[in-house]
Amino acid sequence: MTTREAKEQLDLLQGTLDLLILKTLALGRAHGHAIARSIEQRSDDVLQVGHGSLYPALQRLLKLGLIEASDGISENNRKARFYRLTAKGRKKLYAEEGRWQKFSRAIAQILAPPVEEGQ
Amino acid sequence: MPSILSGWKKRREALLAEMEAHIEIEAQERIDAGVPPEEARAEARRKFGNALLAAERSREIWGGVWLERVLNDLRYALRRLIHAPGYTTTLVLTLALGLGSVTAMLAIVDSVLLRPVALPHSEQLALIYVQGQQEGTSASSYSISYKQADTLRRNVSAFAALSAYYLAAHPVVAQDGTRIAISVQATPDLFTVLGVRERLGRLIEPSDARAPVVVVNDAFWRERLHADPRAVGTTIQMSDRTWTVIGVLPEGVRFPQSQDGPVVYAPITLNAKGEDEDDNFNAGSVLVRLKRGVSIQRARAEAQSAFAYIDPTAAAKHDVLKIVPYQEFVTGDVQKPLLMLLGGVGVLLLIACANAANLQIGRAASRMAEMQIRAALGASLGRLAQQLLAESLMASLAGAALGGAMAYAAVAAVRKAYGGQYARFNELAVHSEVLAACALLAVLVGMAATLTPMLRIRRQTRARMGARTVTRTGRLPGILVSLQVALTCVLLAVCGLFARTFQALEHVKLGFDPHHVTTLVLMPKNSHQNGEISRQIETQLLRKFETLPGVESVTMQTSIPFSNLNVVLHSIPDAEDHVWRASDSADYSFVSTDFVRTSGIRLLRGRSFTREDETTSGTIPVLVNEAFVHEYFARREPIGAWIEAHRDPSETDADLPFTQKMTVVGVVENELQGGDLGAPFQPMVYMNYLALPKSSFLNVIFSMSAQYAVRSSLAQDVLDKELRATVKQVAPQMVEMNLAPMQDSIAASLSQRRLALRLVGGFGAVALLLSAVGIYGVLAYAVTQRRREIGVRMALGASRQRVTGMVARQAGGMVLFGLVPGIAGAWAAGYAIRSFLFGVKDLDPLTLAAVGVLLLVISALAAFVPALRAAWVNPVEMLRAE
Repeated sequence: MTTREAKEQLDLLQGTLDLLILKTLALGRAHGHAIARSIEQRSDDVLQVGHGSLYPALQRLLKLGLIEASDGISENNRKARFYRLTAKGRKKLYAEEGRWQKFSRAIAQILAPPVEEGQ
Repeated sequence: MPSILSGWKKRREALLAEMEAHIEIEAQERIDAGVPPEEARAEARRKFGNALLAAERSREIWGGVWLERVLNDLRYALRRLIHAPGYTTTLVLTLALGLGSVTAMLAIVDSVLLRPVALPHSEQLALIYVQGQQEGTSASSYSISYKQADTLRRNVSAFAALSAYYLAAHPVVAQDGTRIAISVQATPDLFTVLGVRERLGRLIEPSDARAPVVVVNDAFWRERLHADPRAVGTTIQMSDRTWTVIGVLPEGVRFPQSQDGPVVYAPITLNAKGEDEDDNFNAGSVLVRLKRGVSIQRARAEAQSAFAYIDPTAAAKHDVLKIVPYQEFVTGDVQKPLLMLLGGVGVLLLIACANAANLQIGRAASRMAEMQIRAALGASLGRLAQQLLAESLMASLAGAALGGAMAYAAVAAVRKAYGGQYARFNELAVHSEVLAACALLAVLVGMAATLTPMLRIRRQTRARMGARTVTRTGRLPGILVSLQVALTCVLLAVCGLFARTFQALEHVKLGFDPHHVTTLVLMPKNSHQNGEISRQIETQLLRKFETLPGVESVTMQTSIPFSNLNVVLHSIPDAEDHVWRASDSADYSFVSTDFVRTSGIRLLRGRSFTREDETTSGTIPVLVNEAFVHEYFARREPIGAWIEAHRDPSETDADLPFTQKMTVVGVVENELQGGDLGAPFQPMVYMNYLALPKSSFLNVIFSMSAQYAVRSSLAQDVLDKELRATVKQVAPQMVEMNLAPMQDSIAASLSQRRLALRLVGGFGAVALLLSAVGIYGVLAYAVTQRRREIGVRMALGASRQRVTGMVARQAGGMVLFGLVPGIAGAWAAGYAIRSFLFGVKDLDPLTLAAVGVLLLVISALAAFVPALRAAWVNPVEMLRAE
């Protein structure tokens, strides 16, 4: 692993993985691998999902009733488990999105002034 | 449980498969991109990370991990317990004995003392009587009169209802013949007070006063009326009157007391006899139902002021009204013994707990190495504790289950054996609350028993691993053994006191010879029969009995030792050369001419009755006992002295049973009266009833009951047959109440104490066994632990005797440490049970010495094997192990 990679790839903040999974599933149903891949691609490979850690998160969301699972066949004809958003999950996603945006704005505001001063 | 476990397992497998598929897809993508398959798979796996960890995390999210762990712990604990059968059996049996006896005793206390009597709102029911206080030491209590009861009913607002009643045993004639039943003659509000409804027909109402109607209880209806639903309206005969059955009570109504047998309830008859003078009623009872929310104290205060108002004379004598809750009245007699026994089993449980704790301490010590390794591998202390707890709880719950089963059997056996004998023993049952208490107790015991091992593990796992060569001797096991010894000492001392009491009672001088004496108790069907007629019939019977073949002699006796139907005539005598005192009293017993010969009572001076005495005119010849001589003739020759009934200044001839003087013709030995072997002797006057003046109002007692003592060496069944045939032929109007060898009655009177002795003796034996196991266990463990030390000592020159002595000293120390507080405790226990003792003091040096020696011997036996093992430690082997 090179230093360059380390700079560009960020570890996920605690709890954000749930949000990312919900957001991914908002586009439609997907299996575990597809979710991981989607998160990586949509963040331009900046966010690296430890694929293994995806599964406890999925179990947590299942338990909370935010997503549901069904068995199906993957695009390359394998048996796979597909996850999709429930109505409750969709509501949660909107709420969380709002919260997250507020949060990131606040962080950005705090971080912004020193940048101005430095310029 | 297994289904839950297998469910989790399947889910985990599915998840692992899903993750495997994920890795497969990832690898496939790489293979498609041209990476060699081997490398692609490895990369995919690396990217995925630790699949097992992910599965484990997921597993935690599903929840119930704790449950899975508990189940695992239980499985592990079960395996471990099964692999140590000796340890497990000892532990479970110890706990089963302790918990079982506590559960059985709790069930009995709960059924008898705690459960409300099965009457609606029985907490509102109470009995009223008057407590006389003239003598201070022995206050006598008596019932209030009907008139007083009536005034209380009308004037005391704290009472919702009040009923006066009296009990009698009457021969009752129903379709199935004549048999004795209990009759309750009550004022009409009895059923209002009891709060019960009829099952058939109707109950007695105020308009039924003096009407010949009865209500019967369920047992009477079933046993005597064939449970006939049309029984209402049929008639029965009682006291030579015809009574119409107007109602049947529902099942489960037990009144009076906790009576299970047939009972007849009739309205009280107050005709002819003046209200206050009603003889029956003076022996009656007054039952009240308090208004809701009224305390006993308030009711008593109100009733007392009403009582003082209606009867200034009684109030002047400082007599006070007493109100006793009905439940206490019913179970008052058994309350103290039961609580005492509960205390006994409590001590037993403590001993069992100490033993269980010691067993587990030893056990935990042998697992110390395992615990240390597990702690080193990262098991938290909590996790280790959970495991120990699982094992301990499993053992104590198994003990509780076994103990519960034992309690169940024991309670059933007690109910069967003593159901009719003691109040409410017919209601004995192990209720779920008691079982719950037993389980809770087991959990507490299990938790307490892991406490010390846990602390020790904590200490040891924190210490350095190399510490294993150091001998560690905790002080706690020794203290627990001392505690056991102390408690066992208390139980054994109580046992000893009971055994001595029993022995003393069995050797009480009866004063008469019960061998070959049969007692026959009869009762006229009609209790209102003219007394003189009864007297004639009974004399005819007596004469007939005398002529029976094989009968040596017969006497009539109004007061036969150990009979339940004695008529005791309490009287105040005046005696020649004796200055009358207010406390003077004596009991009279009517006997017949052959009394001395039949009863075998020893004639100390003078003569016995003769045929001439039967027809004497002038003074009436009487015999008196030693106690009477002691009280009244201390300063003069008793033979030839006169006695007469004491006359208050206000009394006339009509108030006295007879005006003739009595002359003492003989003095007999004290004999037991009543049924209590431990009771003190009363001054007695024996009068030949055949010489009683024909006109005496005392003739009324012949209509109450007739008791005969028959001395004969015939076989019991032959004699019984003869006596019964004679009664049938000469006096068909008499009903047999009892026919039994006198020795049977004496044995029965000892039975209550025998039961207590057996129970306490059983506790003592179990306690002794547990203590022995405890001493053995602790010493055996100590020797095992100190083998290395012993080896070193021996290598350095210690002799085998010294080593044995070392173990013996340890044993001796534990026992002596226990004996000192034990003996103090035994003294206190003896004081607490002094009212149950007879012929032995509460601090009996002999008993204590015996207990001490017994404990020392048992301890020595228990210490023997470990001491021997210590002596045979091979120093070379031990040192090689270093």
